[in-house]
Amino acid sequence: MELGLYLHFPFCISKCPYCDFNSYQLKDDNQISSYISAFYQEITAYSQKLKKSNIKTIYLGGGTPTILSGVQIYNILEFCKDKFTIDKNAEITIEANPGTLDGEKIKILIESGINRLSLGAQSFNDLFLKKLGRIHNTQDIIDSYFLAREIGFSNINIDIMFALPGQTTEDFQATLKKAVSLKSDHLSLYNLTIKPGTEYYENYKSNILKLPSEDEEYDMYHWAIKFLKENSFEHYEIANFARPHKRSLHNLNYWQNQPYLGIGAGAYSFIRGYRYMNFKDPAKYIKEVMNDKLPIDHGEKLSLRNRMIETIILGLRIKDGVSYKKYKTRFGINLNDIFSKQIDKLVNLGLLKKDDCKIKLTNKGIFLANIVFREFVD
Amino acid sequence: MLEDYHCNIENIRNFSIIAHIDHGKSTIADRLLEFTGTISEREKREQILDDMDLEREKGITIKSKAVRLYYHSKDGNEYILNLIDTPGHVDFSYEVSRSLAACEGALLVVDASQGVQAQTIANINLALKSNLKIIPIINKIDLTTANPDRVAKELQNISEIKEEEIILASAKEGIGTSDILEAIVNRIPSPKGSLHLPLRALIFDSVYNSYKGTIVYVKVVDGVIKPGMFIQAMSNDTKYEVAEVGIFRPKMQTIKKLTAGEVGYIIAGFKNIKDTHVGDTIIDASNPSRESLPGYKKVTPLVFCSIYPIDNKEYENLKIALEKLKLNDSSLFSEDETSEALGFGFRCGFLGLLHMEIIQERLEREYYINLIATTPSVMYQVTKKNGEMLKISNPSSFPSRNDIEKIEEPYVKVNIITPSKCIGAIMDLVQERRGIFKNMEYIDEKILKLDYHLPLNEIIIDFYDKLKSISSGYASLDYEIIGYQSSDLAKVDILVNHQLVDALSFIIYKDKAYTRARKIVEKLKEIIPRQMYEVPLQATIEGKIIARETIKALKKDVLAKCYGGDITRKRKLLEKQKAGKKRMKKIGKVEIPQEAFLGILKI
Repeated sequence: MELGLYLHFPFCISKCPYCDFNSYQLKDDNQISSYISAFYQEITAYSQKLKKSNIKTIYLGGGTPTILSGVQIYNILEFCKDKFTIDKNAEITIEANPGTLDGEKIKILIESGINRLSLGAQSFNDLFLKKLGRIHNTQDIIDSYFLAREIGFSNINIDIMFALPGQTTEDFQATLKKAVSLKSDHLSLYNLTIKPGTEYYENYKSNILKLPSEDEEYDMYHWAIKFLKENSFEHYEIANFARPHKRSLHNLNYWQNQPYLGIGAGAYSFIRGYRYMNFKDPAKYIKEVMNDKLPIDHGEKLSLRNRMIETIILGLRIKDGVSYKKYKTRFGINLNDIFSKQIDKLVNLGLLKKDDCKIKLTNKGIFLANIVFREFVD
Repeated sequence: MLEDYHCNIENIRNFSIIAHIDHGKSTIADRLLEFTGTISEREKREQILDDMDLEREKGITIKSKAVRLYYHSKDGNEYILNLIDTPGHVDFSYEVSRSLAACEGALLVVDASQGVQAQTIANINLALKSNLKIIPIINKIDLTTANPDRVAKELQNISEIKEEEIILASAKEGIGTSDILEAIVNRIPSPKGSLHLPLRALIFDSVYNSYKGTIVYVKVVDGVIKPGMFIQAMSNDTKYEVAEVGIFRPKMQTIKKLTAGEVGYIIAGFKNIKDTHVGDTIIDASNPSRESLPGYKKVTPLVFCSIYPIDNKEYENLKIALEKLKLNDSSLFSEDETSEALGFGFRCGFLGLLHMEIIQERLEREYYINLIATTPSVMYQVTKKNGEMLKISNPSSFPSRNDIEKIEEPYVKVNIITPSKCIGAIMDLVQERRGIFKNMEYIDEKILKLDYHLPLNEIIIDFYDKLKSISSGYASLDYEIIGYQSSDLAKVDILVNHQLVDALSFIIYKDKAYTRARKIVEKLKEIIPRQMYEVPLQATIEGKIIARETIKALKKDVLAKCYGGDITRKRKLLEKQKAGKKRMKKIGKVEIPQEAFLGILKI
């Protein structure tokens, strides 16, 4: 079995007001060391069960994984190599906040085998960065980026958010132009979504947050797609853009609905048809692991039907679409036999394109993907 | 052996509790039940007599119940007390009148801080009409805001009640319970009737139970009723064998017979609640009495709306559900109706807006049917130029203006009781609703009683809520129909994507048509989600557009991020959204959410 491996680090220097990820402000460094101990234990628990699996990609995400020291990260990856079978050409990505990197650390990251860096830039406008609660400024991004390049990262992603409170289309264009001028290998483009439980959500509900209108959001996204294409980025997934051969393999594995193992608090796994989630609260996670239990909070065995549906709605996110052949190989059923009604309807609405070997979203369908996905779910 | 305990008719007391909503009627009932040992500690629940979920939630009693209490009085005698519970809302005053007809006395409960309310006066009048002995009780005297002296004066000002008759109580604290029980025994007369005359029993309610069939609540006036006997209703020749008789303690309890003066239930194979008209007299088929008991006034629905299933496949279920509800609710009216926009459904008639809401909620909650209900309407009288007279409760059957000679709408006499400081705001509200001032009097120096004549149509939508809000909850309202008056009315149609949505049409006073149409299209623009193309919204009178809005096309609907763990969660979110869309009604190509139909009610 081929497997993606996700490692979650739920700590940040400060919590951003829009963020609903499983992350917590770090109170003291002991939290990290006890978390890492549990982490080792969880990895060990899986190592026997998944010995025969070949790990093709590793992703260190968070929170802020680079809040750990270089040595801690190095040791964790060494431990993984010891316990699992990791492909020698594996893509190994780490998320990094520009404010948490220095030359020494970058060197150790590379020595650890990490070959892809994902910079959480979010914006190239200091005012918006401040409003987003980020700890870095524009100069920090640029410095981190070039430092990483210089020391040896040949595959760097930059995360950008748009549709920020008070942001105009011009503001966003300026940010994206700066991001592109760095000539990164990959860009992820997310519109800000207001999630319950965040400070932004409360402000939004009390009408303090002035968000761009749906039309403005459309304009930003529409322009970005065109602009990035002109700058030789391939729009290969709804929110992701890559230079040739620089697609994120770890994420492609998700979109192809293939198995992965998640280690750490709140991490998801998808193995042998089971999708499950670890306890989100780091303390609870640590306690469970230390009691020799798998720290699973909840999960379910997905029915064949649901796996078929999820494979379509994930697959349609990718430019390549869903191939009949791969679908048939995987499920033993023709896509068009089961979903012809939905497919025909969406083709008629101009949201889906259908040819001899696949279905994929049209340009219009990319913007209205939820309408397409809703058609396929039960 | 309490089950077979019967006593002389002189030792029976039949009474109701009447009160304005929230004045503590149900709590007093609870205390009486506890004090007389009718329920044990273990069975104690708040508001024992209210057993439907909705009743508990809304804090009101929908169906009247009759509970038998055994009471050992201070005079040394054993008494049977039959407590006949009544609803507290103005919509259900007809139910109050039914229950009262089975009683000889009534406990009039008034809140010690809120004092006399519109419903209090209406209740007193109802009780007096039924020749009941009234026992006035001022409840909640434990509250820090209680002012029993003031309330006592108010009671004396509005009625013949004498100060020494008033009992002070706090049902919450259990104060006054024994005084109330003694007053019931000493002041309320025993029922008049004879065990030796042929059977006459008054039907005062009936409920349908899927296990037992129709259960008929009766008060036996003369004679005896027991299982094995053949009975018939006076209005009908069909004979039924009595299968079971019993009482409520408060649960159903079978007994051997019900005798003159007693209150209880009978089960006699009535197929349908329609066989047992409330107000009818039950007699012994083999020894029929010739004299019927005074019946009740027939109930006529005042408020109408159409009810449609969102999913047309649920039409049959809706039909069955309505039939079942009608089994228990003789005041609910329904007939088949077809709408171009909504398909097959029903035109329903209700006692009032609350009654309508309760029925809609029960259909959704108890029968799991997703509904669309149209704007409530009243029954109009239209005289056409050719002399033809029509009664119309449904805007879609309204004739063209050119054919109409005259339109009349029902008017009500409204009495509002309010603290005098709110009078300005209330007058503005009533004026805005086309009210005609009739009278004003002081109940005491701070409380006023206002009489108005208003078109019923103006009070069926949110009038009560507005009244409550402008008076910080203090003003109360009671109304009765006084007849029809002619008005300048127009029918407004709503077009969505150029298609007439007949279910959104409404009839309105012509001067108000433009403003309301404007608000409705604005509201619809807010509620109807953006579709893949532009959707115009128009309001028209006789084909002339009086308001217009446009829903812009949906341009972007996409989840930005979706990685590993998210997908199952997102799939479920999409499923939920899809289910939400299934709750929308497709009209032409446009999906209209249920809220669109409800939302415009709140304008």
